[in-house]
Amino acid sequence: MSHGARGGGGLLRLSLKGLRRDLRASDVRALFVALALAVAASTMIGFFLDRLDRGLTRQAGQLVGGDIKLEQGKPFDSDLRRQLEEAGLTLADQVDLVSMASRDASFQPASLKVVDGAYPLYGKVRVDLGGGIEEVAHGPSPGSIWIAPRLAQLLDVGIGESVQVGQSRFPVSGLIEREPDQSAGFGSFNPRLMMHLDDLEATGLVRPGSRVEYELLAKGPPQAVARVEDLLARLERQGVEIEDVREDRPQLGNALERAEKYLSLAGLAAVLLAGVAVAMATRRYVDRHLDTAALLRCFGASQRQLTQLFALQLLWLALSASIIGALLGLAGQAGLLALLTRFLPLELPPPGILPLLLGILTALAVLVGFAGPTLLRLKQVSALKVLRRELDPLPASAWLVVGVASLVFGGLLWLYSGDFMLSLGLLLGGLAALVVLWTLGWLLLGAVLRLAGRFGNGAGGAAQALRLGARQLARRRQASLGQLLAFAVTFAAMAIITLVRGDLLTTWQAQLPEDTPNYFAINIQPDERDGFTDILNAGDASRSALYPMVRGRIVAINDQSPEDVVPPESRGDNALRRELNLTWKEEVPTGNRVVKGSWFASDAAASPADGTVPISMEDGLAERFGVDLGDTLTFSIGGADITGEITSLRNLDWDSFRPNFYIVFPPEVLERFGHSYITAFHVEDGSDVPGKLVSAYPGVSLINVEAILGRVRELLSQVTRAVEFVLAFVLLAGVSVLYAALTASHTLRTHESGLLRVFGAGGRLISRIQGVEFALLGFTSGLMGALLAELAAAGVYIGWLDLAPRIHWPMWLVLPLGGALLIGLIGHALSRGVRRQTPMASLGLLGEA
Amino acid sequence: MSPILHARGLGKQVVSGERRLDILSNLDLEVFPGESVAILGSSGAGKSTLLGLLAGLDTPTRGELTLFGQSLPSLDEDGRAGLRAGRVGFVFQNFQLLPTLTALENTLLPLELLPGDDHQAKAREWLTRVGLGERMNHLPKQLSGGEQQRVAVARAFVTRPELVFADEPTGNLDRGTGGKVIDLLFELNREAGTTLVLVTHDHHLARRCDRCLGLDAGRLAALDRDEVEA
Repeated sequence: MSHGARGGGGLLRLSLKGLRRDLRASDVRALFVALALAVAASTMIGFFLDRLDRGLTRQAGQLVGGDIKLEQGKPFDSDLRRQLEEAGLTLADQVDLVSMASRDASFQPASLKVVDGAYPLYGKVRVDLGGGIEEVAHGPSPGSIWIAPRLAQLLDVGIGESVQVGQSRFPVSGLIEREPDQSAGFGSFNPRLMMHLDDLEATGLVRPGSRVEYELLAKGPPQAVARVEDLLARLERQGVEIEDVREDRPQLGNALERAEKYLSLAGLAAVLLAGVAVAMATRRYVDRHLDTAALLRCFGASQRQLTQLFALQLLWLALSASIIGALLGLAGQAGLLALLTRFLPLELPPPGILPLLLGILTALAVLVGFAGPTLLRLKQVSALKVLRRELDPLPASAWLVVGVASLVFGGLLWLYSGDFMLSLGLLLGGLAALVVLWTLGWLLLGAVLRLAGRFGNGAGGAAQALRLGARQLARRRQASLGQLLAFAVTFAAMAIITLVRGDLLTTWQAQLPEDTPNYFAINIQPDERDGFTDILNAGDASRSALYPMVRGRIVAINDQSPEDVVPPESRGDNALRRELNLTWKEEVPTGNRVVKGSWFASDAAASPADGTVPISMEDGLAERFGVDLGDTLTFSIGGADITGEITSLRNLDWDSFRPNFYIVFPPEVLERFGHSYITAFHVEDGSDVPGKLVSAYPGVSLINVEAILGRVRELLSQVTRAVEFVLAFVLLAGVSVLYAALTASHTLRTHESGLLRVFGAGGRLISRIQGVEFALLGFTSGLMGALLAELAAAGVYIGWLDLAPRIHWPMWLVLPLGGALLIGLIGHALSRGVRRQTPMASLGLLGEA
Repeated sequence: MSPILHARGLGKQVVSGERRLDILSNLDLEVFPGESVAILGSSGAGKSTLLGLLAGLDTPTRGELTLFGQSLPSLDEDGRAGLRAGRVGFVFQNFQLLPTLTALENTLLPLELLPGDDHQAKAREWLTRVGLGERMNHLPKQLSGGEQQRVAVARAFVTRPELVFADEPTGNLDRGTGGKVIDLLFELNREAGTTLVLVTHDHHLARRCDRCLGLDAGRLAALDRDEVEA
C-alpha cells in the first residue's frame, strides 16, 4: 500500500491472507457457518424437492401406468402413435374388458387386462411364477395368462393348469400379488386376469358392440409431454379421455402440492435465519476491522481499495462457505432419502445442477443483503482513527440495513415461490410488522427499566440480580432492541415452520383416518342385506352406510339430447357414455356437504307433481354439464324414463374411500327397479370377516382396496417424514442464529462483567445478573415472536397453503417461556468463560503493562 | 498504624511461548491510610500489572499481599471481589466507561452492587461535583476525553471508597485537560481522606503525591524529590 496503488493481483493476495488470519476470529467463523447454513438449507431442500418431485411424479405415473393415459372405445390409429413417438414418448397398448373365465363347470366374471411387451412402463409386477413372489418388469408372455389369487381360488386352479377365456384356453403361468398400476383397476370389481395382446384376437371377445376400453399409455421426459400438449387438447375435444399425471396426480389432491410449498417455505425460513445470523456477525466483523481499515488508510489505501479488499475477502468467504454448504446440502438430502427409502422403495432420479447454482446465488444474495450496508462503514474509516480511537464512523442506519435486507429477501421469496404479488405482500406485511415490533420492543424495554427499579434496593439475593439484570438489558436499549428483533424473527420463523407442519399433518391425517375403508362390497342383494350387515357388525369391522344402487343412463337434459346441452369439452364425459350408479337416501350421505339448494323434504318423493322428482347432484358434475338448480335430468332405468329436477348440489370427497354417488334420489322413487346394495368397510389385518362374507355370500363381490390405500398412505408418510426432517433443520438453524447473535454481543458483555468484578461483584451475582438478562431477552423476544408468527402464519395460510387461519394459543405460552429458557441456557453457557476470566483480562488491561 | 495495603516478596511471571518472563520480582510495598503514593515507571515497566495485582484484579505468582488486612492470594476471585465492593475505587487510562450507558448510569454501576436507596442522588451529586451536572444523560461518545475521565473519577469516588487506584489517569488526555482531571482527583482525595495509589510515567504528576516509588526491572525503590525532579 505504500505506493498508493496496489495492483489487482496484490489485492487478491492480500484479501486471501487477510481471510486466512481472520478465520481465527469468532465473528468470521459465525459468518462462515451462517452462510454455509443458508446454502446447505437451500440446496438440501432444492435437491430434495427436485428429486422428490420427479420421483413422486414417477410414482404417480406408476399408479396411472404412464405419464399420460389415453382412453377410448376403439383402437388408436397409427397416425396418432407416430406423432406421440416422434415427440419422444414410449408407448404401451392396453385393452380392458370384462369377460367370463371358466374351468370345467365353474364360471367367474374376470376383469381382463390385455397388455403388450412394453408393459409396465413404470414399476414392476409382483407375481408368483411358481417359485415364490418376485418382482418382474413384464407381463405374461403370449400363450399364457396371469390371474389374481382370488380368481384362482374361485376357479380352483393353480399354476400350470388351464383356464378358458372366450374361445381360447390358456395355461396359468403366474399369480398376481400386486400390479404397479393398480389404481386403474379400481373401477372394475372383478378379479384380475392378465393376458398378452397377441392372444386377444383368438379369444373372439372383441366384437362389434362389446364393451372394450382401449388404452394407450405414454412415458417420457416432461419436455416430450409438453410437446404433445396441443395434440392432447385436440384429442380431448374429440372425446378421448386423457389422464396426465403432472396435472392430475391421482388421489393425493393438493396434499403433495402443500407439502412442496411447505418445504420451500421451510427453506426460505432457514435462509432468513441465516440472513439474520449474517447481519449479527457482520456488525462484529466490521467493529473489529475498523482499526485495520484505519491503518490501511494511513498506509495510503483509497476508499475504493478498501472496499475492494473487504469485498474480495468476503467473496472468498461466501464461495468457500457455499462449497461446504452445498456439500452439506447434498449429504443432507442423500441422508434424508436414504432414511426414507430404507422404509419405502421410492426410486428417485439423481440430483440436478440447478439447486446448486440456486444455493450459491442465495449465499451471495444473503451476504449482499444482510451484510452490505454494514460493510460500507469500513470504507468510511478515517486514517486519524489510528491516533484517536473515538473517531469511529457512524454505524449504518438501522433502516438502511433492514431495507436492503428486506429487498433482497423479497427477491429470494419471489425466486422461490414464483409468486410476485404474494412475495410483495409478505414483504410489506413483514416490514409493517417490524415497525410495530420495534415500537413495541422500545416500549417493553422502557417498562422493564421502570419495573426494575421496584425490585427493592437490598444487596445480594435474587431481587438484586433481577434489578441489575433488567437494568442492564433495558439501558442498552439500542443494542437490546436489535437483539430483540433478531430473536423475535428467529422465534417466529421457527414457530411458523412448526405450526404449519402441525396443521399440514392434521389435514393429512383427517384425509385418511385409521378406519378408512379398505374393502368395498358390491352386488349385495336386497334379501342378503340384513345377514350381510350382521356379519359385519359381529366382526371388528367399521363400515359406512349401505347404499342401494340402481343403474341408469342420462338420456336427456332439460328435455334435450345431453350432447346438445353440455359444453363441447364435456361431450365425451364418462358420465354420459356409461350407466351411472344411482342411489336414494333420506339424509345427506356422510362426508357430503350441500353447497347449493336444500336437501329433500321428508315427503319429497311421496307425491311427485307432474312426474318430476327432486334429485341431488354432485357439484363437479353439474359444473361439467353446465347445469344448475332447477334444471332437469332424465334417466333411462330398466326401460323406464324418470325425470328429476336438481334441487341441491353436493360437494363430496372422492379421495375418501367411501361409496360416492353423482346423483342421489329421495326414497321410494327407485325402489321398484331391480337394485343391489354397496358398502365399504374397514377391517384389521388378518380379520376373518372377509372370509366369512365370501363363504356366506359368494355372489357378493368384495374388493380389497388396501393396496391402493397403502400406496396413498405411503406417499403421505414419505412427505411427512420429509417435512419432519426439514423442520428439525430449521430449528437447528434457529438455534445457530441465537448462538451467533449472543457471540456477537460477547465483547460488550465481557466488558460489563469485568467492570462489575472490579467494583466488587462476585461470580455468583454476575452469573445471576446475566441469567436474568438473557431470560428477560428470551421472554420478551418470545412474546414478540409469537405476535409476528401469528401474523405471518395467517398470511401464509391464506395466501399460499390454502388453509384456514386460526389463533395458536399454546404458542403464546411456549415461545416466551421457551425463549427465556433457550436464550438463558445458551447465554449462560457462552458467558461461562467470561465469568472465569480475571477482571484484568476482561477489561483488556493485560497488554498495557 | 497498620498499612492498608502490604506486599512482600511479590512476583509475577508470565509464560510467553517457551520463555518465562518475570514482569515483577521480589517486590515490597506498604501503603498507609490517607497517604498518596505514586508508582513511577517507564512504558513496559510493569506498572499496570502491579496495579492489577495490588487491586486483586489478577493473582501474583509468588509473595504475600494483604489489602485491608486480608491476604489476597488466600482469597478466590469472588472473595477478592467482595473485598473491593464499595471500598476500592478505580480510574483507568482508557476510562472504561460502558459505551451504551449514560454518564449517570455509568456512575451508578458500582453503587448498584451495594444496598441503599439513595443511589441516584449520590451519583448525581458526584457528577455535579466533577462539573458534569448538565451532561448526566450523555453517552460516553457524546463527551470529550476529559469529560469521560471526569465521569470515571466520579464513579471512582461515588461509593466513598477507602482506597482509589488510578492507572495513568491522564494517559489519554492532553496536558491541559489532564491537569484539570488531576486537580480534581487530588482535591476529591483530600476532601474524602482517601488513600490513593497512582501509577504513571509522568514525573510532574508523581511529584504531587506524598511518596514516590520507582518501578524498574520489576523492582520498586523509593525515590526522593530530587530523583523525581530529574
